[in-house]
Amino acid sequence: MIGFIILVTFIGIVIVAFSAIIQKRLSDSIILFMGVGLGSVVLFFIFKAPDVALTEAVIGAGISSLIFLMALKHLGESR
Amino acid sequence: MNLKRDLPTSTLSGFALSGLLILTLLNILLQNMPDNIQTAGNELLKLNANEGVANAVTTVVVYFRGFDTLGEIAVLFIASLGLGLMLHSNTRCDIKAESNFMLQTASKLLFPIILLFGIYVMIYGHLSPGGGFQGGVIIASGVLLLLISHKEFEVPHSVIVALETFAGVSYVLIGLIGLLVLDTFLGNFLPHDISQMGMLISGGIIPIIYIIVGIKVGSEMSMIVQNLIKRSDDV
Repeated sequence: MIGFIILVTFIGIVIVAFSAIIQKRLSDSIILFMGVGLGSVVLFFIFKAPDVALTEAVIGAGISSLIFLMALKHLGESR
Repeated sequence: MNLKRDLPTSTLSGFALSGLLILTLLNILLQNMPDNIQTAGNELLKLNANEGVANAVTTVVVYFRGFDTLGEIAVLFIASLGLGLMLHSNTRCDIKAESNFMLQTASKLLFPIILLFGIYVMIYGHLSPGGGFQGGVIIASGVLLLLISHKEFEVPHSVIVALETFAGVSYVLIGLIGLLVLDTFLGNFLPHDISQMGMLISGGIIPIIYIIVGIKVGSEMSMIVQNLIKRSDDV
């Protein structure tokens, strides 16, 4: 059962990551990048690394994507 | 897709060369692999019990690799400094539209809870997953919520300066006291009895250092977020 969850999460991460790089709009890519982080949180937690999972949830999926979004907003203004 | 036009020859040859180097390195590593590679961390994990800290990861990050953590927060400080230098200006004008009423009300309700959770993760870093870095970034994300929802909100610069100076100076001071008392930088000079393992006050200097790291990371990340949001257009 746990192997099935790992497999589904892993395939989901690969699909989301691939769809993130083929998006036309950059903001869609950033939202999908947050999805990649979310999938990795599940994987880290299943593989018994709760410290890394918390770090990834806070930094990887949370604040770095928001910093990307803010930077994108400033880029759009100056363009 | 025309591969030759989209990817220049130098890029392709660079990829090929680095792939070849990685394969060679992997081959050498696999041929000369030591027998005890699976048990390489066991020595450190045995030492972990001496410090009386329930979360072994915290002992590694703060105590065995404490000097690296000092370097990491220095790197974060330099990143915050560079962003402040590049984006800071006196004319602050950014968010033109008033934010949503729902967001304004909800942020007032949510900010204390986020702050409390960040402080909890920071203080319980030596007992449960998490610690200074994570707690500091959680606090910074709470500050980000306030910055988005309230147009006129701004973290006072003097508070950030005071917190960051206090945290950096006390980290180095604790390390130097350890050097004086126990002849090692960041030596655990406070009582850390093994029978206290799992209590809130246990592990000597390790929880104190993680709280200091949390204060420093929180103030630096808040400054980064504020500089990014309140940036004026004419820079």
